[in-house]
Amino acid sequence: MNIDYSQEAPAVAGRLTLAEIEELVAKPLDSRPDKKYFIALSISGGALMIGAVCLAISFYYGLGLWGNNQPIGWAFDIVNFVFWVGIGHAGTLISAILFLLRQKWRTGIARFAEAMTIFAVICAGIFPAIHTGRPWLDGYLLPYPNQHHLWVNFTSPLLWDVFAVSTYFTVSLVFWYIGLIPDFATLRDRTSSKIKKTIYSLFSLGWRHSSRHWQHYEKAYMLLAGFATPLVLSVHTIVSFDFAVSILPGWHTTIFPPYFVAGAIFSGFAMVVTVLVFVRKIFNLENIITMDHLDKMNKVILATGMMVGYAYGMEFFIAWYSGVQAEQFVFVNRAFGPYAWAYWIMVSCNVIFPQLFWVRKFRRSIPVMMVIVILVNVGMWFERFVITVTSLHRDFLPSSWAYYTPTLYDFGILIGSFGLFFTLVILFTKSLPVVSISEVKAVAEGAQPSHHGGVANA
Amino acid sequence: MHQTDFHYTQKELPAGLKKFGSIIFILGLILALVAFYVDKERAIFNYLILYSMLISIGLGSLFLIALEYVAGADWSVPFRRIPEFLSGILPLLFVLVIPLLIFNHDLFHWTHKEAVEKDVILKGKEPYLNITFFIVRAFAFIAVWVIFYLILAKNSSKQDATKDQNLTRKNIKFSAIFIPIFAITITFTSIDWLMSLEPHWFSTIFGVYYFAGTVIASLAAVTLIVVFLKEKGYYQPWITDDHLYSFGALLFAFVNFWAYIAFSQYLLIWYANLPEETFWFLTRWEGSWSIVSILLIIVHFIVPYAVLLSQPAKMNPKKLKFISIWLLFAHLLDIYWLVMPNMTEMKSGYHFSWIDFVFPFLGIGFVMLVLSFFGKNKNLLPIGDPKLKRGLNFHL
Amino acid sequence: MHNTNLFGVSALFDSPDKIILVAKKTAEAGFTNFDINTPYPIHGIEKAMKLKPSKLGFITLVFGLTGSFIALFFMYWTMSIDYPMIISGKPFFALPAFIPVTFEVTVLLATLATVIGMITFFFKFPENHHPLHDTNYMKQVSKDKFGLVIESTDKNFELEKVKEFLQSLNPISIEEIYYQAKENNSVLEPRFLTLLFVIALVTSGTTYFILNKLLYMTPFDWMSTQLKLNPQKPSELFSDGFGMRTPVAGTVAQGFIPYLSKGNPNPTELLENPYLITEENIKIGKSKYLTFCSPCHGNFGDGDSRLRGQFPNPPSLHSKRARDFKDGMIYHVIVNGQNSMPSYAPYLDNEERWAVVNYIRVLQRAKNASESDIQFAKKENVKNASN
Repeated sequence: MNIDYSQEAPAVAGRLTLAEIEELVAKPLDSRPDKKYFIALSISGGALMIGAVCLAISFYYGLGLWGNNQPIGWAFDIVNFVFWVGIGHAGTLISAILFLLRQKWRTGIARFAEAMTIFAVICAGIFPAIHTGRPWLDGYLLPYPNQHHLWVNFTSPLLWDVFAVSTYFTVSLVFWYIGLIPDFATLRDRTSSKIKKTIYSLFSLGWRHSSRHWQHYEKAYMLLAGFATPLVLSVHTIVSFDFAVSILPGWHTTIFPPYFVAGAIFSGFAMVVTVLVFVRKIFNLENIITMDHLDKMNKVILATGMMVGYAYGMEFFIAWYSGVQAEQFVFVNRAFGPYAWAYWIMVSCNVIFPQLFWVRKFRRSIPVMMVIVILVNVGMWFERFVITVTSLHRDFLPSSWAYYTPTLYDFGILIGSFGLFFTLVILFTKSLPVVSISEVKAVAEGAQPSHHGGVANA
Repeated sequence: MHQTDFHYTQKELPAGLKKFGSIIFILGLILALVAFYVDKERAIFNYLILYSMLISIGLGSLFLIALEYVAGADWSVPFRRIPEFLSGILPLLFVLVIPLLIFNHDLFHWTHKEAVEKDVILKGKEPYLNITFFIVRAFAFIAVWVIFYLILAKNSSKQDATKDQNLTRKNIKFSAIFIPIFAITITFTSIDWLMSLEPHWFSTIFGVYYFAGTVIASLAAVTLIVVFLKEKGYYQPWITDDHLYSFGALLFAFVNFWAYIAFSQYLLIWYANLPEETFWFLTRWEGSWSIVSILLIIVHFIVPYAVLLSQPAKMNPKKLKFISIWLLFAHLLDIYWLVMPNMTEMKSGYHFSWIDFVFPFLGIGFVMLVLSFFGKNKNLLPIGDPKLKRGLNFHL
Repeated sequence: MHNTNLFGVSALFDSPDKIILVAKKTAEAGFTNFDINTPYPIHGIEKAMKLKPSKLGFITLVFGLTGSFIALFFMYWTMSIDYPMIISGKPFFALPAFIPVTFEVTVLLATLATVIGMITFFFKFPENHHPLHDTNYMKQVSKDKFGLVIESTDKNFELEKVKEFLQSLNPISIEEIYYQAKENNSVLEPRFLTLLFVIALVTSGTTYFILNKLLYMTPFDWMSTQLKLNPQKPSELFSDGFGMRTPVAGTVAQGFIPYLSKGNPNPTELLENPYLITEENIKIGKSKYLTFCSPCHGNFGDGDSRLRGQFPNPPSLHSKRARDFKDGMIYHVIVNGQNSMPSYAPYLDNEERWAVVNYIRVLQRAKNASESDIQFAKKENVKNASN
């Protein structure tokens, strides 16, 4: 395992030529889906249907079917919302922040991660929309001159969420599409089917791979990355404000913004690894999504996992240090109260198990990796559950203390959101290139001039 | 500039560094002693600011080194010696901390036994905030930093001769262990020295806030020295525009990060409006402190943001030099803003005193001496580092 | 002299190093209307081609700043001007709370403007009928070759010379590219128009159905059918069938003190004036007097109506009778009315009525000042003047 530090690890393994890269990525689009594909699609579609049915029943009879009630007025809806928004943070992180940090290994996974971002944000967006109980009235969330002459409350973090999540969705989509334009052009030029060609032409907008265009394109990509980076931080920061601007102990703590962002990256990377492990196997992309890439992703998971652990620790320490009784009670209750089981699931999945990634062998072993990232996903879902439910279930008024139990409808809708996510992912793998063709070509061996600096200075 | 092979001959740091450093340092030391004689409280508070500033630069530099190893960065390899010299401050902290511990009574309200007896909250914090544990923590943290400093710096300079890749491997391992330890120690350092000045106040983000400032200060110090040495011809032709651009971009990123953390802390406390938290900001809005608070936003965020926003500015050596001096000052102002309103006579507003200028002066002299001492007989490029060639060939 | 149908001449190369060299040579040969097509961006090509740095950043900056200002101003206007409301004790213009939305709008506007600006102004897209499309050249540069095309619009363009020049660069192949015959796809084609019509019909029909029908069907109508009783609706609970009940005798509305002498022209019991004559009180009295009393009684209570005989003039307020009225009597007249004067109770609340009484007293004293009042006033004037 001796690494030669004087050589940069190649971003594309196996010395693939440009044409081979293109062939590899475009192959799933040219072949008909097989039986396994339809089996996978029907499983995820089935989950989606369960969610749809539960949702329809919830709308018909009202949200009383859900488990939340005083004092736990917020439960699965916000937990799922935060969970999915968090998942949606990895994509933009990979495509924007790693782009600015010039990490070449991002090229192999960026497209897929961005797609997952968009799908995760779609899943997330459902929950605030349905938790009102009357989603057809959600238009009032937008500030328009309505018949009541009322404006939205711009000082409310819930409204900031409306702006943050919709901006995030729009910008992610634009970013994704911009990345796709050259690939659409490549697909247009290689396909022989007339229908496909029309569609690809339409979406490629007539891209000609012109260097005069590449120049602006790269600039735009850079600017977009520059904006997407603070945007991705702002989104989960604002989600954390939903909780932290209140005065509820367990919610109101100043570390929430960076803590939520770290947690979001943590869970997002875990989800990306979960899905990528399958994708690289099924579509034979082992040379493009290499073990080195997964290794690096796992390092990020380890780092962000420790950041999350740091936040857990600081919360406890400052709760004690503050000398505020209510604050101290909430944290003791969190760890040893009726929801202690959820708390310890969260701590073990998020802080303890990822420590295995200190060992290089584990970082590079597919089965170990799979187990850990799935545990991280579970742990991060429980983190939001712990924050929401344990803080609420014993608040300032002991007479109204209660124990929250979700109902079948809550679970059904949660399953439905997973169904929606994986249905979109599965459809995506067969309809668009899962890896950015032009970006991977650009980092392949010998793809860049060997003296490119020399020309500029000569 | 493409470097296939290069010839490096060792070149001593400019002699003026030691000469001017000694003059400034001795002058500063005399003035500081006078300051202690004239106004002990003001002097010791100012000394605390200087001490925090030196931790920021020294510890921050060590963090930058560790980050380079862990992240596998190559662009920062050619000038890694500069943060290595700067983290030479760390062993000296053993001595520097002593005046603060002697005068702890003037600094920290919680060291007053009679006040703690009367105060339920302070009584509750006594297991953490007591002078014995405080001294133990102070020395233990410095000891931990020094251990990692010695390991990382020794391995790096040993590599100049041996060119042994195993040393890089070792340093990567120690850096990975150092970073979590760094996170914990810097947090509790900031709580001990800065937050506990107002022992009733608490904020979970405080460690991150101080960390943001630390990175800005150390990065600005490194940038300043590298640009300065490049202009003097020490780093010609190895440090290119692309390296400078990375400095500018990183400074820009951390200016934004600092603003993000500072704003988050302020917004949450302002919004929830709980008296046990808001009073800390209210003290900093008392009388003329409001001007300093507004100034902090402008100096620490708006000006550097505007200067570094454009792409060409990030690689312009003149602008980089200006902004790194500016950011060092901004971090000083930040710590000043954290520390000074806790002084009894400054509670109601800021008063001018010449003492405030003495200690930064002393600090400049001190850092110059540290540089010339640790930079003696050292290669400015880590010539044995396997990543050096990649670092020199770095292109955006 | 060149073929009008000719777009340009293209050449293919097979390595990035080569194309950088080619770009440099082409630019040095004085060509300006040429282009390099590569399957991915090549580092350093823009310098080799002598391109100017992209100006895209300006669009971003301008629209980003616009977004910030629009968002901030809009929030300021809605929250502090159009419909100010106190929300959790924050000021109307709660700047820290406006920063998140300002940031989001800035990012949204800046990114959208950058992308739309780039696609429409810089690229002039969509353009699927460019002569380069569907050529062998395009197919190659889309995959793994690096191409140069020199356009016929270049001022140095001469077919033979250009070909010679390209040949000297050692390309894989050279290809002449021609404009394709324009396709005739008129917008007025009946099929297209029908499609437009159908889309319009379906969209408006769906909108109509959702807004006017669907939202009144179960379950969307449950806001309109609730168990609670709406005003004016019948109820089966009460024997008289009325849903709304008359209040119990003697019920007093909240915050309302009944005036017991109402309707009595000669009240036996008069109220005491509970308000002292203070500056604020007089100010209220003056403003209310000028609004409600002065149209008939005149600005100074002389009974000189501004209504020019449309309404009978009231007597002067400076008569002996009026001056001898107790404060309570004037209050009674305000609340109850007198002769043809109607009650002003609905327009003035309790404090305002007494304030008007006090103001009338001020007018009366001013019009009938004693010697000592005049002396006092003179002194005050001198004092004011000397100040």
